[in-house]
Amino acid sequence: MEGLSGIGYHTPAMKAPAVRIAATALLVAGAYYVGANIGFILRFPPATPSVMWPPNAILTATLLLASPRRWWIYLLAAFPAHLAAELGALPASLVLALFVTNCSEALLAAVGVRWFSDAPTRFDTLRRVTVFIVAAVLLAPFLSSFLDAAAVTALQGEPYWVVWRTRFVSNVLTGLALVPAIVTLVTLGGGWIRQAPWRRHAEAAVLALALITVGIVNFAGPFEGLGAIPGAPVTPLAFLLPFLLWAGVRFGPGGASLAFLGTALIAIWAATHARGPFIDLPLAESVVALQLFLTIVAVPLLCLAALIEERGRAQEALRERLSFEELLARLSRAFVHLPGHAIDGAIETWLQRLGQFLGLDRITIRRFSADGQTLAVSHSWAAPQSQPVPLIVARRDLPWAVRRLHEEQPVVFTRPDDLPDDSVLDRAWFRRTGIRSGLILPLVGRRVFGSLAFFAIAAERAWPEELVQRLRLVAEVFASSLARQEAEDALRASEVMKSAILSSLSSSVAVLDFEGRVIAVNENWTRFACRPGAWDAHAGLGISYLEACRLAAREGVAHAAEALEGINAVLDRSRPIFVLEYGQGDRWFAMSAVPLDRPEGGAVVSCTDVTERKRIELDAQRSRQELAHFTRVSTMGELTASLAHELNQPLTGILANAQAARRYLDASPPDLGEVQEILGDIIEDDKRAAEVIQRLRDLLRKGESQQIPLDLNAVVRDVAKLVSSDAVIRNVTLTLALDPDLPVVNGDRVQLQQVILNLLINGMEAMAESGGDERPLVVRTECTEAKGVHVFVQDAGPGLRSGTQELVFEPFYTTKAAGMGMGLAIVRSIIEAHEGAIWAVNNPTGGATFHFTLPGPGERTA
Amino acid sequence: MIAVVDDDASVRRGLARLLRSAGYRTQTFASALEFLERRAGDDPACLVLDVRMPGLSGFDLHEVLTGEGLDVPVVFITGHADLSMAGRTVKADGVDILAKPFDGQALLAAVERALTRGQPSLVRLASS
Repeated sequence: MEGLSGIGYHTPAMKAPAVRIAATALLVAGAYYVGANIGFILRFPPATPSVMWPPNAILTATLLLASPRRWWIYLLAAFPAHLAAELGALPASLVLALFVTNCSEALLAAVGVRWFSDAPTRFDTLRRVTVFIVAAVLLAPFLSSFLDAAAVTALQGEPYWVVWRTRFVSNVLTGLALVPAIVTLVTLGGGWIRQAPWRRHAEAAVLALALITVGIVNFAGPFEGLGAIPGAPVTPLAFLLPFLLWAGVRFGPGGASLAFLGTALIAIWAATHARGPFIDLPLAESVVALQLFLTIVAVPLLCLAALIEERGRAQEALRERLSFEELLARLSRAFVHLPGHAIDGAIETWLQRLGQFLGLDRITIRRFSADGQTLAVSHSWAAPQSQPVPLIVARRDLPWAVRRLHEEQPVVFTRPDDLPDDSVLDRAWFRRTGIRSGLILPLVGRRVFGSLAFFAIAAERAWPEELVQRLRLVAEVFASSLARQEAEDALRASEVMKSAILSSLSSSVAVLDFEGRVIAVNENWTRFACRPGAWDAHAGLGISYLEACRLAAREGVAHAAEALEGINAVLDRSRPIFVLEYGQGDRWFAMSAVPLDRPEGGAVVSCTDVTERKRIELDAQRSRQELAHFTRVSTMGELTASLAHELNQPLTGILANAQAARRYLDASPPDLGEVQEILGDIIEDDKRAAEVIQRLRDLLRKGESQQIPLDLNAVVRDVAKLVSSDAVIRNVTLTLALDPDLPVVNGDRVQLQQVILNLLINGMEAMAESGGDERPLVVRTECTEAKGVHVFVQDAGPGLRSGTQELVFEPFYTTKAAGMGMGLAIVRSIIEAHEGAIWAVNNPTGGATFHFTLPGPGERTA
Repeated sequence: MIAVVDDDASVRRGLARLLRSAGYRTQTFASALEFLERRAGDDPACLVLDVRMPGLSGFDLHEVLTGEGLDVPVVFITGHADLSMAGRTVKADGVDILAKPFDGQALLAAVERALTRGQPSLVRLASS
C-alpha cells in the first residue's frame, strides 16, 4: 500500500455524532446477544466453553474499529446483552466473571494489535496479519483463558486445564473466523458491493454457493462415506481447500475470512450433529480435532491471502506509479519547447489530467501580486460541483503558509489540524473553504512568484513524501514555463516599445552590431538612405555600415572617412560618443553614434537633417557679423576726430619736413646731410600713416570669423594705439599692464580687437560722465590656471548701478543719451562665441572693472 | 629764438627744421610741462604751440605765461580744427591758429607776422 499508492487512499471522514455512537452501541449489544446465543447453541454440555464463542470476537472487532476513547461505551453496551444472554443459564457470579474475562480478552487483543500494527483494521499485508494472529488470535485468548478457567473452576468445579484448553482453542478459532470477517465487512464491504463490477459479484456468489454445496455434501450428504476412506480421515475437508484458496486468491483476506467463517460454521454444525470426518472420535476430542484442523487451515490461508493482496497491491502501486511517472514524463516533455502563447492552455490541460489522475478536487496556480500581498488565481482546474476559491489575502488568510512558500518549503496536510500551532488563521481558512487535505508548493523563478496547490475536498488524503517530490517536479516545470512565458512577454513588450520609439523618431536610426552590421533600422532610415546621393544609401538591414562608409570614402565622399573612423572608435569603446555635422548638396546633416550598452557590443547611429537649424545658425551668425560691422563703423564714426588727428600728425611732419628739405636744397651749398635726415623722418611718417590706415581697414573689414592663434597682448596694444589720441582728447590716461608670459589663445583677431575697443570706449565714456580730473583707464592681462587669458579693463567712472551687472550686456541697454546699447552686447556675443566668459564688477575704490576670459587649448570643446 | 611745443616728435622735428631753414633759432619741447621746466632765462621770441597735448594743453600754457606777465607772441597749431575751438581763440587773443597739416609757408608767414606784430592784433584762421 505504501509508496506511491498513497494515491487513491481515502480515509472516510470520522464523523461521530452522539446518534451514530448510540446506534453503534446498540448494534454491538445486539450482535453480542445474538453471538452469545449462537455460542450457547455450539456448546457441548457439560463443558461451559463453546466450540465457537462469537461475543469475544465481536467485542475485539468493535474495539479495533472504534476510537479507544469510546471503548468504554461499547463495553458498557455489551454488558446488558451479556446479562440477558447468560443470566438464565448460569449463576450470576459466573456471568459477571465471564463478562470480565471476555472484556479483558477483547481489550488485550485490541491493545496488542493497535500497538504493533500500522493499520489495525486491515489484514492486507503479511505483517498486519501476523500481528493480528499473534496478538489478537493467540496471545489474548491464551492469557484471558487463565482467568476464565479459574473462574469456571472455582464456581462450577470443572477441571481447570480442560476449561482453559477448550476456551483457548475455541476463542482462537472464533477470532480467526470472525474478527477479520467483521472488520472487513464494516470497512470495505459497503464499498465493495457498491463499486465492484457485476462479474465480481457473480464470482463471489458462485464461490459462496460452491462452498456451501461442497460443505453440505461433504459433511451431510450421500458422500459422507468418503470420509471413511481408510487412512484418510480428513479427506472431506480437503475438498473445501480449493474453495478457500479461491476466496483467498481472488477476494483477499476479507474474502478468505468470510469463506473460512462459512466453512467453520458448516464443519462445527456437522460435528455437533455427529457428522463429518471426526465422528469416529469421542465427541469432545472430535470437536478439538476439528477446531485444530480449522485453525491450522485458517492461519496459512489468511497469511496467503494477505501475501497475495500485498503482492497485488505492490503491483498495483507499481503500475500506478509507472503511469504517474509516465504522466510526469509526458508533462515535462510537453512543456520543453512550448511557445509562450501556448503555455497557459497547456497548463490548464495538465492541471485537469493531474487532478483526474490523483483523484483530487481542485488544483490551482496562484501568483503573487506585485506587492506580494495577495495571491490571485491564474490557472485552475476543479472537479465538477466544487466551489471556486476566492482571492487569497496573504496576511489575512494564509500567513503561515505564505511564509513557508517564501522559504521555498511546501505546505502539506492530510487534515488542517496537522498544521502547527502558529497556523491558526491558515487552519481556519482551510476549514472555511472546505479543504480537507492539501499540498501547496512554491513556484520559484528568480524568486518565489506563486503557488501550485493540490486540494482534496470530498475526502481526506495522504501525501506520501514520494508524491510530494514528484509534484515538486511538476511545480518546477510549471514555474519555469511561466517564467519563460513572462520573459517572452516582456521581450515582446520591449520589442513593441522599441519599434514604437524607433518609428516615432524624426531622425534616421540604425542599430549596429559589434562588427558594424545593421541589425535594426527605423522607417526614416529606410527613407533617408534612399535619398539621392546618400553615401550610406546601401546600408540596409544586414549590410555592414562600416563597409558602406569605406566604399564612400574610397569614392571620395566628403566626411565618409571621418564617419568610418568615429563609428569604429565608438564600436571599440574608445570613444563614448561620436558626433559629425556635414553638408551634402544644399542640406546639412548631424550624425551621432553612441555605444550599445550590452555585453556583445554594438552602436546606435542616428542621422538628423539639421538644415533648418544650420540655416538659423548661419543667419544668426551673419546678422551678428553685420551688427558687429555696423557697430564698428559707428564706433569709427565716433573715433573720426581722433583718427583724423592720428593721420594729421604724420602728414604735418611730412609736409613740414618736405618743405624744409626744399629750402635746404635751394641753399648754397645745399645741406645734404640735413636733407638725408629729413627723408628718413618722412619715410617713418609715411609708414605711421599707412599703419593707421591699415588698422582702420582691419577694424572695418567685414568678414567671416577666422580663428587663429593670437597673442592677446598684441591685440590690446593695437587697439590702444587706435584709441590713444581719443584718450588724450578725453583726458583719459590709458595704462597697459600686460603679462609678458601670456599664452597664445585661438581667436578671431578682428572680433577680439572689437571687444577691446568697445570696452575701452565704454570705459572712457563712463569716465567722461563722471567728470573727475583723474581719468585712469587700465588694461591688464593675465594667464589663467587653464592656460587661458584673463583681461581686465578697469575704469574710474561712476561704476555700475547695483543690479545692472548682468543687464549691461543686454542689447539696447544703455545709460547714455546717444548710445545704441549695442557695444557690450556685441562684446558678450563675441566672447561667448569664443567659449569665454565675461562679467563686470564695481571696484572697491570706485569705477567698474570688466573682465573676460578666453579658454586655454584644453578647455575648448570643439 | 622760437620754441616749438608739440607732443609728436616727428612734427616737432619737421617744424624746427622748417624754421631753421628760414634762419630762426629753435628749441623744441615735447610738452607744456617740459617747456615750463626747461626754458632757462632766455625767453623765446615766439611760441609755436600744439593745442592738444597730454597734460597741459597749448591754451593752458598760453594762459599760464600770460598770467606770469610774459606776453610772448604765439602761433597755435592743431590737428582738431573745429569751429568752437577757433571761436574761443578769436575771442581771447586773435592769434593765428593753423590746422594740421598746414603749408610751411603759412607757418613761416604766421611766425613772421607774430614777431613783427609783437602784439596780438588780428585773428586769422588758416583754411584746412
